[in-house]
Amino acid sequence: MRAILFAGLSLLTGTVLKAQQELMFYQMPEYWHANALNPAFFPQDRTVQIGLPGYGLDAWNSGDITFDDFLDRDGDKLYLDFSKLIQELEPENDFIADQRLETVSLGLRLKGGFYASFAHAVRAHGVVVYPKGLPQILWEGNGGPDFLGQTVEVAPIVRGFGWHEIRLGLAKDLGKWTVGGHVNVISGLAALESDQSRRTATVFTDPDIYQLTLKADYGFWSSNIVESIDTFELGYRVKFVDDFNSADLFSNTGVSFNLGAQYRINEQLSVSASILDIGGNLSWKNNSYYFSTKGEYLYEGDIIDGKELIQGSDSIDLDDGLDTLNDVFAFSRSDGSFSSAIPTRYYAGVQYQLGADWAVNATVFHQQSSLVSQTAVGLGLRWTPLYWLSLGANYGINTRSAANVGFHLGVRPGPVQFYFASDNLLTLFQPYASPQVNVRTGLSLAFGKPRT
Amino acid sequence: MSMSIPHFYRPVLLFALLVWVFSCTLSDFEDLELAERDAEYAFPLFQTSLNLKDLMDEVLNDTLPGDTILVNADGTMTLIYSGDLVSKPALDLFNFFPDTLIPLTDSLAELPLDEIPNSIRVDRVDFSGGTIALVAFNSWTDSVDLTVTIPQMLKNGQAFEVGTKLAPSQFYFGPTIPIAGYVLAPTNNNLVARYVAVDKNGTRVKLEPFFPNPEIDGVALDLDKPAFSYMQGYWGYEVYPLTEDTIEIDLNQTDLEGEVYITDPKVTFTVANSWGFPTRLLIEKMVFVGRNGQEIPLQTTALDSGALDLAYPSFAAGEVGQTKFTKIFFDKNNSNIDDIFNAQPVQLIYDIDGIANVEQDPDVTGFITDSSVVDLLVSVELLLEGSALNFGAEQTVELNFGEYDDLDTANITAVEFKLVTENEMPISSDLQIYFLDDQEQVLDSLFLDGPQTMLRAAPVDNNGVAMGVERTETFIPMSTARFNRIRTSPKAQLLTYFTTAQGGQVPVKLIATQDAVVKMGLRISTRF
Repeated sequence: MRAILFAGLSLLTGTVLKAQQELMFYQMPEYWHANALNPAFFPQDRTVQIGLPGYGLDAWNSGDITFDDFLDRDGDKLYLDFSKLIQELEPENDFIADQRLETVSLGLRLKGGFYASFAHAVRAHGVVVYPKGLPQILWEGNGGPDFLGQTVEVAPIVRGFGWHEIRLGLAKDLGKWTVGGHVNVISGLAALESDQSRRTATVFTDPDIYQLTLKADYGFWSSNIVESIDTFELGYRVKFVDDFNSADLFSNTGVSFNLGAQYRINEQLSVSASILDIGGNLSWKNNSYYFSTKGEYLYEGDIIDGKELIQGSDSIDLDDGLDTLNDVFAFSRSDGSFSSAIPTRYYAGVQYQLGADWAVNATVFHQQSSLVSQTAVGLGLRWTPLYWLSLGANYGINTRSAANVGFHLGVRPGPVQFYFASDNLLTLFQPYASPQVNVRTGLSLAFGKPRT
Repeated sequence: MSMSIPHFYRPVLLFALLVWVFSCTLSDFEDLELAERDAEYAFPLFQTSLNLKDLMDEVLNDTLPGDTILVNADGTMTLIYSGDLVSKPALDLFNFFPDTLIPLTDSLAELPLDEIPNSIRVDRVDFSGGTIALVAFNSWTDSVDLTVTIPQMLKNGQAFEVGTKLAPSQFYFGPTIPIAGYVLAPTNNNLVARYVAVDKNGTRVKLEPFFPNPEIDGVALDLDKPAFSYMQGYWGYEVYPLTEDTIEIDLNQTDLEGEVYITDPKVTFTVANSWGFPTRLLIEKMVFVGRNGQEIPLQTTALDSGALDLAYPSFAAGEVGQTKFTKIFFDKNNSNIDDIFNAQPVQLIYDIDGIANVEQDPDVTGFITDSSVVDLLVSVELLLEGSALNFGAEQTVELNFGEYDDLDTANITAVEFKLVTENEMPISSDLQIYFLDDQEQVLDSLFLDGPQTMLRAAPVDNNGVAMGVERTETFIPMSTARFNRIRTSPKAQLLTYFTTAQGGQVPVKLIATQDAVVKMGLRISTRF
């Protein structure tokens, strides 16, 4: 599990991600998993809901970066090529991802208009703010014209963490109103978080004879990910935590809340809103360390004593100098607990039914984070040609782009519910050309017809 | 409107949909590899600062032990080479008291000091060492009492006296008597010694020569290793050879090539004289041998017919034991020393005589001591101002490329060295480096087209003083194959050719604080 989680976090830090925007899925309240977006949502036509696995991913990079920008295909072979990507990057770039894996959930319609729910999910949130210089210097080296004489910032800001979430929910049908809430018992799995007061790492290549000035004042916290960082040759050797066990699951716990409401104004028009992850704060205590490095190093090559050279020193040794680099930039480790705030999300929606098969809707989403905030607005159209089939489209504007066309498919054959929704249609048809990965899919079972 | 789909199609539809969504993405990343990419890496190799004073110390003084570079108040430098050319102790010429057996042929015998030249009259000798032993033969059949006295040889007011009783027919060689502390006072280079031999009746007798060897007189004094600390008298006119020799001069490293022109050298001859009588040096010959073998006689108006009267410590002035100095300067205004030094002299051949009391003053009392000496010192002052054209130096150094030696060059597509110099000196330099293997065979060279100018001279003002810093950047592109040869080379032969500003056509001043920074970086193009 930890490996999977870390792989997910690595993906966050290494490719493209941002806060989980689910405009389309928010407008599918008849599917059980939508309860995670608004505690007031409960499918009206069944009494028992059993949630099977569901998966959601919303990831994107600032700008219009697509997979095609860093993937090259040669026949069946796929290559990672950052050449084009680097040209399109801004001086500072954001990469944001939210990932949700719903494992199991249960919903019950109770007497008196109450709905109870239980759910478990594994979630991850990641933000990387990285300068263009980081991938550029790694890919192109420091000897190009873009680097000579320039101070290049290479330090990324990383915030990534994963956690278990156990939701206990209760909702009440009040006629036109339905209100509900979740209590989320959260337990942190692993985290990596930059110290924003120490986020400098620069490389300066002097055009003179390419003297290198390296400065670093960089720190980050880690819990259950990095065990140690040792210098190795001219770089680092990272040792990951390998004694993670299930008992640690409940070492980094916290509580958050979800609140939601739905108001059916009339047969055609309804509105809804929710606030999610209220007060979510993970305190990291287990295997929690603070790593930091601070130093400045000017490498001028080997300094040869001119007087000795003149006086007949009979050797020129170019083997010195760089070895001290490791000493200067060695990471120190100290025990250090820290906390991570789960970004609070806000949804608001309105839906208007146009006859039996068609409906229009609008959704607003906002996610507040100390690093990167995101807002999205969507206008959608739903078509329900069959009672068990739903198709929809959505036009969305978000922080990244004003050109997002979404799509959803929902089928409910018998007790089975399956849905697929994406706020960015290109994710499906041109996944490599899509600047945003946004998918939400899942399965659930529904039983029992409610008594009218 | 409503449609129906058979129930058994529904799971198939779901499965197909899932496969379609994910198969196009996840499987593609399984064998993801990095694409080929071009990258450039740049880093510094080395840097050093060459100070002009250090450079001059090495180039000009490499083999001279008695040299200094004097930094003048204005920062210019003067190379001062000083050394002893000649040292002539007085005892080499004026030691008149050898080991000898002095016969006393009569009871009152005159002892002429034959070793003293006629031009010299010794009035006083203070002995500091040596011994005298009495030698006698009693030719009589009775015993004889013998006493020998030297009235002109006194110690604490007492004349030297030695005596013994001789048995009949006895040959006697008496014990040695130290003479240190005795003062000898000859008269016109003569001494008188007296012996008294008395038989048992009190009658004076004469002792006959030793009959087995008639050459030995009946009475004699054996003078052994006499040494004196002071000699006083009169030194009359006399010419004597002072010194004749050839000495090597090495003002430049012998393996330097090219033309060097030194402006206004100054040579000072200093004679340190502690001989206590008038002496004139007569320079019979002073010839410099140039680097190309040509002989250049010193021509100067500083000497009157090659003669130089030395200052000397005066007896009359109570200057016994002092040293007097006489200096004579040669420069371009009074000699051809300018031409001599620009010929880079390697030898000096000289022949110098001394003339005592050239004025033949009869009233001059002279002296010498056991430490009196005439030292001839030469001092060469070269203001480091001049010009040079292709003045060459060569040095072989060992190389260690360290990490670069093990570099995997399979991905290197091009290499470019960047050589930067920042020069405060009024000197330019062409450079070539030959990279050698262990057997010192040439593997490659830094420049394919011969030496390149890598150090341009700083501009100079009207006084030949460099102004500012001249920066020279030299880019040296190189193929990977050549780079591979060079980076594994264990040795390098550096050939440097110095030329002063403006192509060596104008004299420049060299300032002690002037530096030249030499540094090199490397840029490597790769394709991974």
